[in-house]
Amino acid sequence: MKRISPRMRFRMMNPFLQFFKFIILSVKIMVIVAGGHGGTREKVK
Amino acid sequence: MSKIVILGAGISGHVAAAHLRRKLSKEHEVVVVSPNSNYQWIPSNIWVGIGRMKSEKILFPLAPLYKKKGIGFKQAKAVSFHPEGDSTEQKPYVLSEYVVGDNKGKQEKVTYDYLINATGPKLNFEATEGLIPGENKTYSVCTYTHADHAWEGLSALIEDMKKGKKAKILIGTGHAKSTCQGAAFEYILNVEEELQKHNVRDMAEITWIANEHELGDFGMDGVLMSYNDMIMKSSELVEMIFEDRGIKWIIGAGVNKIEDGIAHYETLDGDYKTESYDFAMLIPAFSGHGFKAYDKNENDITEKLFKGFMIVDADYTSKPYEEWTVQDWPETYQNPSYKNIFAPGIAFAPPHAISKPRKSKNGTDISPAPPRTGMPSGITAKLVAENIIETIKNGKTSTDHKGSLGNMGAACIASAGFGFWKGSGVSITTYPIVPDFKKYPDSHGRHLGKTFGAIGLAGHWLKLMLHYAFIYKAKMRPFWWLIPE
Repeated sequence: MKRISPRMRFRMMNPFLQFFKFIILSVKIMVIVAGGHGGTREKVK
Repeated sequence: MSKIVILGAGISGHVAAAHLRRKLSKEHEVVVVSPNSNYQWIPSNIWVGIGRMKSEKILFPLAPLYKKKGIGFKQAKAVSFHPEGDSTEQKPYVLSEYVVGDNKGKQEKVTYDYLINATGPKLNFEATEGLIPGENKTYSVCTYTHADHAWEGLSALIEDMKKGKKAKILIGTGHAKSTCQGAAFEYILNVEEELQKHNVRDMAEITWIANEHELGDFGMDGVLMSYNDMIMKSSELVEMIFEDRGIKWIIGAGVNKIEDGIAHYETLDGDYKTESYDFAMLIPAFSGHGFKAYDKNENDITEKLFKGFMIVDADYTSKPYEEWTVQDWPETYQNPSYKNIFAPGIAFAPPHAISKPRKSKNGTDISPAPPRTGMPSGITAKLVAENIIETIKNGKTSTDHKGSLGNMGAACIASAGFGFWKGSGVSITTYPIVPDFKKYPDSHGRHLGKTFGAIGLAGHWLKLMLHYAFIYKAKMRPFWWLIPE
């Protein structure tokens, strides 16, 4: 079983590191969500 | 001139009304029919349920906003559907009944040219004997009033624990076919964090109970995701978090009866067991509202419109899990029998589940129903609105805007604790929502670059930002439409 190590926990809760994580996550989520959507049926014809 | 009637003012109905009003000239009428007086941003109910946010912060009254924006509003509930009219009314209509004011109890035929059914789910607490919010020590966070009650119950228990009482807390799903595991997941992490903050964590045993066959299924058949430099299953991620927080778990459990402080459940192995608790938050089963539909001769045509939820352009052919494809899922949310009726958000009948169906050894179905969260609700509502707008403007039927859950991404930002510096969140994105096993055969049906997980303070900031952004958007403040669904 994987466990959260002290080093991981430090990175998860460090405001300085998490600020950059916040920017990266915001951009990645925006790309995925606002990146478009569509149908699926035409593609299999 | 066209009249568009929208049933429901939740995320889906409100998004549709806002886009229709913005893009259609005033000669066209947009009318919302909803029994609720307030708009509520449901994802923040979690914070209401732990006392970290007042319910007033997640809601606002609809009537003043709609009046200002030129959207008609009837605080009424839909009773029956009449898509062909009747002997005295030529136009299609929805029979609605007012729920407040002088007109309370009065019924009205609300006619329409286009109908958007955004009534969402019925919270089917009755499906589980004894599962009643606020009774038998069980609570819910499905509405802001439920969440308020949950916090009252939890805060009383915290006070008891401060006096030395040992307590058992049970959080998860309250029915063998429940969905929305994500909300329960958020709540259990927030409750655990609150107990830490009140220095009573060591007085409580916290247990997760769910109908998932493994942790992290979330009704999406689990997710294989990128996590830092690893590829990880969602079950491993959730197990890691629960292990870290000292949370126990019971999975493959279909809760079937609640007594005062006792949950009865059946396991996939066919065993009948009980779990005692002092506080429980259990998500009920969701169901359709049981609407009836009639043709112009008053013949019952409910099966043309409803299959529990509303029938749309999905492939409802019954087939085994191995033959499910993303092509089964709807693209335009248009009813095939009545082309001027649409059902985005949670109101449409899914073709089947997303998670693999499982039965107990006794033959009981125990597996999650498909989740449909706020983001796809908003996206599908917007595309329905856009198709109606183009149909009206061009004078011919348009279904160019499509959005299958098999070709749409979603982000789930699950709060794991409240606090600007000490908070935490579990951010999970998936693309697509419904796994496409043909397109992504080696990564459990999803694109690994767009399906990732992250844990940390940034997740809390993200959820907080979304809270303020989406309430701003819902209030239709300047440039609200720039914020994506």
